[in-house]
Amino acid sequence: MATRRWSLLPRKREDAGSYTSNPDSRPGVSEHRMAAPVNVQNPSKTWELSLYELHRTPQEAIMDGTEIAVSPRSLHSELMCPICLDMLKNTMTTKECLHRFCSECIVTALRSGNKECPTCRKKLVSKRSLRPDPNFDALISKIYPSRDEYEAHQDRVLERLSRLHNKQALSSSIEEGLKIQALVRPQRVRKPQQESDNTTFSGGEDNCDARSHLSQNSAPPLLHAGPLAEADAEAGAGPSRSKQAKVSDDSCPEGDRGSPTPSLPPLHQEGPGSEIELVFRPHPLLVNTQDYSQTRYVKTTANATVDHLSKYLALRIALEERQADGQTGGDVAEERGGEGGGAGGGGVSLQNISEKQYTIYITTTGGQFSTLNGSLTLELVNEKYWKLSKPLELYYAPTKEPLQQ
Amino acid sequence: MASQNMDPAAASSTTALKGSETGGSAARGSVSKRLQQELMTLMMSGDKGISAFPESDNLFKWIGTIDGAQGTVYEGLRYKLSLEFPSGYPYKAPRVMFITHCFHPNVDEHGFICLDILKEKWSALYDVRSILLSIQSLLGEPNNESPMNAGAAELWENKEAYKARLLATYKN
Repeated sequence: MATRRWSLLPRKREDAGSYTSNPDSRPGVSEHRMAAPVNVQNPSKTWELSLYELHRTPQEAIMDGTEIAVSPRSLHSELMCPICLDMLKNTMTTKECLHRFCSECIVTALRSGNKECPTCRKKLVSKRSLRPDPNFDALISKIYPSRDEYEAHQDRVLERLSRLHNKQALSSSIEEGLKIQALVRPQRVRKPQQESDNTTFSGGEDNCDARSHLSQNSAPPLLHAGPLAEADAEAGAGPSRSKQAKVSDDSCPEGDRGSPTPSLPPLHQEGPGSEIELVFRPHPLLVNTQDYSQTRYVKTTANATVDHLSKYLALRIALEERQADGQTGGDVAEERGGEGGGAGGGGVSLQNISEKQYTIYITTTGGQFSTLNGSLTLELVNEKYWKLSKPLELYYAPTKEPLQQ
Repeated sequence: MASQNMDPAAASSTTALKGSETGGSAARGSVSKRLQQELMTLMMSGDKGISAFPESDNLFKWIGTIDGAQGTVYEGLRYKLSLEFPSGYPYKAPRVMFITHCFHPNVDEHGFICLDILKEKWSALYDVRSILLSIQSLLGEPNNESPMNAGAAELWENKEAYKARLLATYKN
């Protein structure tokens, strides 16, 4: 009867002290005491129980199907590897201090740094100070049976985060979007007038609705080159030089309002305007690709003229230079001396922006570049020179001295 | 702090976040993953007095700010720091330097910081948040035993003079 038993059930301190002197309490001597294991102890071993042990009551097992909710975040901090901040993978536990890491993480850490536990600095001689912890891996796969799914979710969250906070990513996604739009919509010149002719045949009411909507939007032709439109674009995409100039008809119906630039001749008010999309590239021969490598996608009303486009471009580039100038110390603006008028320093005046600064070209059938007259409307350009069922492609280059137009 | 809201594209010769990593190995991918995790935690934790964000589209270079802790001579002063993460991060410590001039016994005139956890006491468990918090507490509790700025260390006991010198050299 050498079995030593004790209980953590509450009991009186006095018992502990008293029974050792009581010969009856010795195991084997008094059998009836066995029923009360409290007193059944080897007299040579008294157990000093802590206050906690004296007062604790057994944890009731939950048997009634009660569900316990644990927030994934608090759980994740328990199941996370503190090195890669991801969920533990092939868990390794330090033998001495019982801290857990991914196998890969801790092995790399030991190889590349101090031979100590990254969590508590306890000495870790080598990999042998670690042991795999498959039980923990099993626990994780029990909690997250579809771990791959979880990781994909994490990736999505991170992606969303970096999309929100990564302006570069945002601007490139805008760029992508515009490219796709341009591809999906081969018919870039919409003519409400003609469509209305069609409806007399089709009689479709939907068409009528669409048309009336269109003509509301298509008042005077405007290139949104004013600072307001600029601000719109900037807010979204950040002042990146590779950013596309997104000019949309409904973003700012009065783009010139508040613009300090001298106004162009009044725009032709020839009936309800239609929209035109164009791809705007630097002239491959006349422009150093390092200077203007970006392709611009512009959408405007079809009765805007080449001069409008040219002036928009000048303003656009001047503003971009001012942005770049403000941050890189002026080297960019220096290179392009003069174009931006007073480009340089913080407060560039946009007074000198002129449609004369850039010349617009189009490729003709022979692959030649021909200069476009400033007074041509884009609609006319499209009909006369382009004729293709894809966005109009134009090229630009700084005007050569002397100003020809 | 004129350059705090820097144009992300202007300063960076590097390409977009994802693009710049194609040259690296899977290791570089895991580094940026960890940095993204840190960024997320940092933004959600909302610690007062410290902040950090990638300087541009390059996730491996961050700009951090530290506000001097209350009750210290640095109270009310804001410091900007640069953090550069090596490809061996977090096994290797990032390079952390003061951008704002900092008059402090353990900071030299170029902004180098003498702090053990950035050197031999680095652990892979430290992150941007713990680094910035450590530097914040270093401001108020310098280690005057091995000063990099002996003048600051000598002056430390004389709080009045120290504060005057601190404010005179502080350039934001």
